[in-house]
Amino acid sequence: MDCREFSDKHVAFVDDTLAGIELVRMQRHIAECECCAKQDAKIRRALLLFRNLPSIEPSADFSERLHARLRREAQCENLLATTQRNLRRGAIAATLASAAMLGYIATTLYHSQTPRDLVMPPVVATLPEADFIPITTSSPAIVTSVSAGLSIWPAALFAEQVPVRFAHSKLELANYTR
Amino acid sequence: MAEIVRKRAVAVEGASVRERLQAMDDSAVVTAFLGGEERAFSELVTRYQTRLLNFVYRTIGDREKAEDLVQEVFIRVYRHLHRFDRSKKFSTWVYTIASNLAKNELRNRSRNPLVLFQTVQKNFQDEDRPLQFEDTTSRPDDMYRKRHLREIVEETVAKLPEHHRNVFILRELEGKSYEEIAEITECNLGTVKSRLNRARNSFAEIIAPYVD
Repeated sequence: MDCREFSDKHVAFVDDTLAGIELVRMQRHIAECECCAKQDAKIRRALLLFRNLPSIEPSADFSERLHARLRREAQCENLLATTQRNLRRGAIAATLASAAMLGYIATTLYHSQTPRDLVMPPVVATLPEADFIPITTSSPAIVTSVSAGLSIWPAALFAEQVPVRFAHSKLELANYTR
Repeated sequence: MAEIVRKRAVAVEGASVRERLQAMDDSAVVTAFLGGEERAFSELVTRYQTRLLNFVYRTIGDREKAEDLVQEVFIRVYRHLHRFDRSKKFSTWVYTIASNLAKNELRNRSRNPLVLFQTVQKNFQDEDRPLQFEDTTSRPDDMYRKRHLREIVEETVAKLPEHHRNVFILRELEGKSYEEIAEITECNLGTVKSRLNRARNSFAEIIAPYVD
């Protein structure tokens, strides 16, 4: 056995978990190697110190504080259980209320979608516009206006705006013949 | 008279329940608690409070905080015991919770320098305190040497890297098996052995000048 192998197996050697043959090989190595023997002694002595550290005890009020916390925990659990129970009841009530509300909305929507009589605004009747009779240059009305001293185009515009009956061809014709 | 007899009967019944619980193993006590026997939890607390306190204290090095953390461990056990897999060892589960809480505490400390400062302050105040003689039969110089040595050992443990220290304490102080340590620290068996080897070597190396 070399020092590396000794070091690798030292944990098991200290904890006494090595198989019989391995244990003998380790012991033989210690007997032969002064360096490993020193290291082994150093570790065992240090561990002895650590294992013999005095144990600390919980303080006097540790138990009391813990039980107070445990009581609070138990109360919280009860409160949680009650809340969950109430929530379950609340959820059922909310479901029923929602169902009722949905039913109401559905009924309202159904009634609002039925066809009704259309109410239209009142119609205001107007007279139909008279047929437009285009005035041509050869029209007798133009000729009449020229003789009255009006210029041709204002006269033509005026003739367009006047009620049609005054510029009716029959009347114009009558005037012309006179 | 009848009242006294009734009270005595209740006390005798309580004592017999306690005795029965004391005789049970952890698994049976857990089963009793889950079956509605509230006193079973007190039995678990009695069994583990000192062991857990020592484990957490050696890991984080602050006594008051260690007590708080051990209380937290029991609160968590109380809260989640119904989810505990009873095919496994109760002690392993409890130590896993304690180990995780201690790890979180160390992590928080490293993130919050103020906490570190407060711990250092407290240690200085402890140093200023006059010697407290625990054992009046010993000579004062022996007692001083003992206290001094204890402090050196504690400081040396505190110097170990966190993951080495955890394994080291679980093995050397709590006497846990490698398998249990692997389960508690959530690493494999090889890692546990290697960490333990390194921790032992480092510890021996640091403390050697003081004990030679």
